[in-house]
Amino acid sequence: MPIVIFELPDGTERKVTAASGTVLMQAAVSNGVEGIVAECGGNASCATCHVYVDGRHTELVGPPNEVEDEMLDFTAAERRPTSRLSCQIQISDALDGLVVHVPEEQV
Amino acid sequence: MGRHLLTRYDDIVHAEKLPEVFSSREEGSLLRTVGPNMLREDDPDHRRLRAAAEPPTRPRQVRDLWAGTFERTAHELLDRIADRGEADLIRDFAEPLVAANLALVLLGLRNASADDIAAWSRAMMDGNSNYADDPDIWLRAERATRAIEEAVAEMVDITRREPDGSVISSMVHAPEPMELAEIQNNVKVVIGGGVNEPRDVFGVGAWALLRRPDVLDRVLGDPGLWKRVFEETARWISPIGMYPRQLTQDYEIAGVTLSAGSRVALVIASGNRDEAVFERADEFDVARPHRPHLAFGGGPHFCMGAWVARHEVSALAWPLVFGRLKGLGPTDSAEDRLEGWVFRGLTSLNVTWQAA
Repeated sequence: MPIVIFELPDGTERKVTAASGTVLMQAAVSNGVEGIVAECGGNASCATCHVYVDGRHTELVGPPNEVEDEMLDFTAAERRPTSRLSCQIQISDALDGLVVHVPEEQV
Repeated sequence: MGRHLLTRYDDIVHAEKLPEVFSSREEGSLLRTVGPNMLREDDPDHRRLRAAAEPPTRPRQVRDLWAGTFERTAHELLDRIADRGEADLIRDFAEPLVAANLALVLLGLRNASADDIAAWSRAMMDGNSNYADDPDIWLRAERATRAIEEAVAEMVDITRREPDGSVISSMVHAPEPMELAEIQNNVKVVIGGGVNEPRDVFGVGAWALLRRPDVLDRVLGDPGLWKRVFEETARWISPIGMYPRQLTQDYEIAGVTLSAGSRVALVIASGNRDEAVFERADEFDVARPHRPHLAFGGGPHFCMGAWVARHEVSALAWPLVFGRLKGLGPTDSAEDRLEGWVFRGLTSLNVTWQAA
């Protein structure tokens, strides 16, 4: 199973497994990664599972979809070019080793 | 009430994220007044209805399409009362504002007035919380729902020919279009919640600030804080105090095994004051550390009106009221008019100010 790494605002890393076919947000929530709130449970309605994809992986992960792009304008922490909603990132074997940074705020 | 109450923050979050166990498909008063609707459905049916209705409520739509009209309406309402020097901010401002925003703009019910919407909403909400089974309340609720059905049917015909970007139009033109009865029932839900919830957050937040002049001064000096006022108000006295779920299977939560079919209440009013999550939880504190509150619910049923309410209350209604009405002060404590445990808010908020 792919392993993904969440880097928290204080610099600590949480390394968790993520099943292919699920979404990145689920890996965070089911492993209790702090800072990924995901109020709406993965429907791109709440903008509280915001992550910054590490620079090395932005091309691999790709750009936000249309609905997500809109929601990213309303995140609590600033939007950057690497911003994604983790509920919209589909896990595949290609994403093994993915690093994302968790922002300071989600609400 | 024949229900198990989930009162801790973590248990409520857990239940909200497990809709396959904690089902929304529960028989109850909401179904009696409104009929089958998305609040009382699970996915995939819920998802189909929600996806059809949601696009006009998303934050960019609110900002780009609706905000201008919302603001004009708010100014018009304030123009009407500005010279009086006194008003009930709930009846004379918040309720007509959110009713007009909802009906005339967001839903696209141009064939109704803001007064109609406010009255319909009250009648239905009284029905939804009619646990005492008062027959007069049921009768008024039924009259309101019939009136809504007629108004919606007319607008469905019109928007079928001329899409207008509203929620009704969005439902008519969705990739998986909705039946007329589905549109009618879901509009009823939106009218029910869409009036009293933003109205009640407005009222409670305004009241909290009027009683805390130091906090109000800080907010007026730093308008970025209106957002914090909104989230803290929604946490402190959430406009929905509880909502129901029903178990699809035996399930253990908080050390108790509940059997399939058990009725459960998620008590948001309690979870939002859970001391394990919020320090000094009973205090209204706009500077508290940012933790997600439960007022908008969670999971697939996360409040569809969240972005509309945030905008109309925290970006618009409060800043305009406190900016335009100088020397605003409460005429009494208002505390005794804080009512309800399913739907909660001030029934009135009487204030005075220096008339221009």
